[in-house]
Amino acid sequence: MHHLLPLLVAVPLLGAALLVAVGHRLPRIAAEITGFVVSGATAALALVLLLNSSPPMVEWVGGWLPVGGESVGIVVVGDGPALGMAALVSLLTLAALAYSWRYFEEPPRGHRGAFTALMLAFQGAMCGFAIAGDLFNAFVFFELMSVTAYALTGYRIDDAKAVQGALTFGVVNSLGAYAMLLGIGLLYARTGELSMAKIGRGLDAAAGHGGPDALVLASFVLVLTGLLVKAAAVPFHFWLPDAHAVAPTPVCMLLSGVMVELGVYGVWRVYGTVFAGPGGIPAADLTRALVTLGTLTAATAAVMCWYQRHIKRLLAYSTVAHTGLFLVGIGVLTPEGDDGVALYIIGHAGVKAALFACAGVLLDRYGSVDEHTLHGRARELRTTAVLFAVGALGLAGLPPFGVALGKAVTEEAVGGPLTAVYVAASAITAGAVLRVTARVFLGLGPRPQDADSDLETSGAGEEPETAGLLSRIPDTMTTVPALLLAAAFAVGVGPGFGDLVARSVNEAGSGGAHASVHWTLPGVLLGLASTALAVALGGLAVTRPHWTTAPDWARPLRRLQSGHVGDYVAWLLMGATVLGALALPGVLGG
Amino acid sequence: MNRLRLVLLAVGGTGLAALLVAACLGLPGFGGRSHPYGARAVHASLTRHTANTIASVNFDQRAYDTLGEMSILFAAVLGCVVLLRQARDEHRAQPQPAEVARPVRRYALIVLPVALVTGLYVVAHGQLSPGGGFQGGVVAATALHLLYLGADYRALERVRPLAVFETSDALAVSTYLVLGAAGVLAGTSFLANTLLPYGTFNTLSSGGTVPLLNAAVGMEVASAVVVLLANFLDQAVEIEEEHGS
Repeated sequence: MHHLLPLLVAVPLLGAALLVAVGHRLPRIAAEITGFVVSGATAALALVLLLNSSPPMVEWVGGWLPVGGESVGIVVVGDGPALGMAALVSLLTLAALAYSWRYFEEPPRGHRGAFTALMLAFQGAMCGFAIAGDLFNAFVFFELMSVTAYALTGYRIDDAKAVQGALTFGVVNSLGAYAMLLGIGLLYARTGELSMAKIGRGLDAAAGHGGPDALVLASFVLVLTGLLVKAAAVPFHFWLPDAHAVAPTPVCMLLSGVMVELGVYGVWRVYGTVFAGPGGIPAADLTRALVTLGTLTAATAAVMCWYQRHIKRLLAYSTVAHTGLFLVGIGVLTPEGDDGVALYIIGHAGVKAALFACAGVLLDRYGSVDEHTLHGRARELRTTAVLFAVGALGLAGLPPFGVALGKAVTEEAVGGPLTAVYVAASAITAGAVLRVTARVFLGLGPRPQDADSDLETSGAGEEPETAGLLSRIPDTMTTVPALLLAAAFAVGVGPGFGDLVARSVNEAGSGGAHASVHWTLPGVLLGLASTALAVALGGLAVTRPHWTTAPDWARPLRRLQSGHVGDYVAWLLMGATVLGALALPGVLGG
Repeated sequence: MNRLRLVLLAVGGTGLAALLVAACLGLPGFGGRSHPYGARAVHASLTRHTANTIASVNFDQRAYDTLGEMSILFAAVLGCVVLLRQARDEHRAQPQPAEVARPVRRYALIVLPVALVTGLYVVAHGQLSPGGGFQGGVVAATALHLLYLGADYRALERVRPLAVFETSDALAVSTYLVLGAAGVLAGTSFLANTLLPYGTFNTLSSGGTVPLLNAAVGMEVASAVVVLLANFLDQAVEIEEEHGS
């Protein structure tokens, strides 16, 4: 069974290559069916492997089994989290491809199937990153994932903003990748190893009784910088809203639903395997770094989310806010925290992808994703309105959605005042989405006034992604979000699903300690509280429109999102320095 | 904003630089004798009769990384094809032939076949001597472009039917993947180099699947570079923005 692990990468890549080779000779429908079959087959493979992942599988690609504990080959891991992410990636790719069924106006001339091929390559890259057990191999798939994502983001070249967003995305993420490679170089110089587990053991052996030194700290900072750029943690997050605002909707579903979360997963995997030993970064330092950055991320993004009128940017900021919550959850380094974040990520993927799918419907029906100009215009889209509202409630953490279960478990793990961060961030972001629902789909409240500000991105006058504005919404564009929401719901109510996820996560990490995951009264009450708060915020915003005009104190924060790549790069350097400063005490103390 | 950027850059840059300098002091000394990975890689390469250890690392020991790397090139080229396509407000103009200085033309036409053969040689001997699919592929692909320098753009277009190169790019990636999957079908690992005989050390057919994977990468790189350059040249030479529309 373990020999099949690399096929999670090979199958989608082969599909992509074949689509490029013969795609221009195929009718469009055949190219799209090929995309379905390939991504579906990969999803099936991932699920089958996932069901067989206890005890965790390990595969040495090329059959380079270790001899005397040493191997020259590449190790691939098939444990619960790795295969779970691969399955999530594949199912979401399938959903995105179904959503974009006969969707784009015209594929590039002579390159029919190029979009599907890029999506499949993206899927293969994300699967490869998820199952990587070798740090350099993880970097290779990190890069493949980035390259395909840049191209997919800039896909609509006729819009200058799309090219600009993709370029920003490319510059910032490539810098993150270089930082990661530099970090891998340092680790290799110290240990002579590339497999994550062997690097970890090498660091412990090299440290002896001395604890970590500057080289370990630097490699930790550099590797984490790369991963946190992908995870869009503050202050590495600036690329994300700019890219999400312009990327085609199916691509947004993947970027927000699972690619960003892979950054969080990477942090979890790398810390747990490489830096968790006595020669690595002490637990207290990791907790300080991740909880600080995570809280900052959640707070900043929640504020930014609330003051957006561009619906896709609003959703993008809500993703950033939730990533902050994920980082806090894995940062506390408890088995419960890991389990909670795993469930949270699964539930969030379904809900967020569904919300983006609904935003795409607005874009293709009205040529706008602007909350102000669309006020009351989408009354006719009843189904989409229901889906959008349900998605907003799911995002808030209404029990029994999967998001709520994951959030409740994480809240219990982090405890104390951090619980308030969870409730507030999810209530504010969901409140913003509910406000959009009320204004755009129901036409409630007075029509909001356009603020006299140079900081607004309106989202009006956008090009639809279909051939002309849609007069009727195709069934796929409502079925897919409905199914995604149903899946997010099932994560919460499926009997034993939470425990299953918890068991497979704990088997792979957390030192084998098993935590039990189930609904608790405080968890349900907190979920209800954040939902009620979200509804209240949404209601207040609709009845008192000046609540959504950005106050003066938010101006500097909004100004930071300048669209200038140079600013983002400066923030990236600053972020790396801050990360180093946050983790420094452990090194000095050692 | 400008000032804030400079301040951030100064503080962030200084912090990171300090960290890197401190880290470099912890690096092993230059020219040490301990190369744990290197020693293992050379040993592994010799047991499989691959004379060039680099080729053994690239196409045998860490062939899975190479799969990722060739896919990066493949995806990057596909991405360029998509991003550099003719936009709605652009049209194609026929490039005008330009006068080429006689020595340039003569030199280019003499060097072209030499460079092409050199590229193919570097690909073919990847498992024996320095070089291989990546390097040789680039040499072969750029050789064709001497025609652009020596003659003109239309001459180049005649020798590189783009559709053919795009297809061969994709087929090369497929070949690599199928060779890898053959290992799984045979009941061993993905990309396992155990299916073919290892041959006589230091001959063209030595190393098992190494020469085949190497050739696939050579074909992929050559095709990909041709397609990539073609797309950029198209932007520079043929595609023009429409004015006044």
